[in-house]
Amino acid sequence: MNGKRLRLWDLPTRLFHWLLVLAIVAAIVSGQLGGNLIVWHGRIGIFIVGLIVFRLAWGVLGSTYARFAQFFPTPARVKAQLRGEWRQPGHNPLGALSVLALLGLIGFQAVSGLFANDDIAFNGPLYDLVDGALSNRLSGLHYLASNGLYLLIALHLGAIVFYRRVKQINLVRPMLTGWHEDKGEGEDARGGGPLALIVALMLAVAAAYGASGAWLPEPPPPPAVEIPAW
Amino acid sequence: MKSAVLLAVLSLSLSGVASAQFKSEDAIKYRQSAYVTMAWNMARIKASVEGAYNKDDVIKAANVIQAIANSGMGALYQPGTETGKGWEDTRVKPELFTNKEGVGKAAMAFNKEANEMARIAAGGDVAAAKEQFGKLGATCKGCHTDFKIKK
Repeated sequence: MNGKRLRLWDLPTRLFHWLLVLAIVAAIVSGQLGGNLIVWHGRIGIFIVGLIVFRLAWGVLGSTYARFAQFFPTPARVKAQLRGEWRQPGHNPLGALSVLALLGLIGFQAVSGLFANDDIAFNGPLYDLVDGALSNRLSGLHYLASNGLYLLIALHLGAIVFYRRVKQINLVRPMLTGWHEDKGEGEDARGGGPLALIVALMLAVAAAYGASGAWLPEPPPPPAVEIPAW
Repeated sequence: MKSAVLLAVLSLSLSGVASAQFKSEDAIKYRQSAYVTMAWNMARIKASVEGAYNKDDVIKAANVIQAIANSGMGALYQPGTETGKGWEDTRVKPELFTNKEGVGKAAMAFNKEANEMARIAAGGDVAAAKEQFGKLGATCKGCHTDFKIKK
């Protein structure tokens, strides 16, 4: 405990986190209210596809504590934490499970939404690529899985409160500032330079473009058939 | 005795025929067809408010939805149609048959917005039509959320 602070979360990781928070809140509100907001729900979903792909890329290319290999929750690590023997900075093993579950479920929500329909007048941007039955099925799963997402968000917020109240650890501040106040034995985060950032951003933009369906061929112009009077 | 039976049969049939009772399969088919027909017309309005506005097309579409909204479709949710197959398995939730107040509220909200959609369509104001289209869609959702099974 030398009291020196540790560089923990790099800026891209923090920006990703808070943008995802905003996007998820906006997606929940627009999805619940419906009406014309459903169009925004779809746009937010495309944005979230980009965010998730960015995070997946950053989990390989990013700095030390953003990397999946650094925090992947192997059974041995989880056991160590449950025995109370986990001291390292960054995501602890149970936290890492939560990270992976959130990324997975949010990813599923975003992707299933691309093919979904709302049984009213809105279709996801890639609706044309699947048949109606599959779209209905994915729409149902999209709706059901939202309950799982609420549960994971509640757990996430509950863990933050638990750490603050019981363990006297503020998890929110490092996610804002990037600094972990007590350096201990840990090393500053390294890696995740500009080149890595550019590559991750390009992958994210490519994914969002794919999700948007903008690449789908334009429907052929309607044949010059006279519209009947009836 | 005979006349008493006749009277009973007569009164029973009179009280029971406020609206026609259909074969369950047919009642479910009529329901499903009405919703699909509305989906067709919602798609027409959507195409207009998002692309080139076609006033005539929006009027026609809004009038169809208004007509179905005011057609008394509630009668198609007759006893015996809680489950079963029309064109496909019905996706109605049991709550529709038990929560009369809730379903009435959702249906009246839809009626109101469908009438308003038709009124605005006649005026031909694109921005107003777009806004009303959203309100109308929200009332569809209001019923789907509580009374339609997600598959």
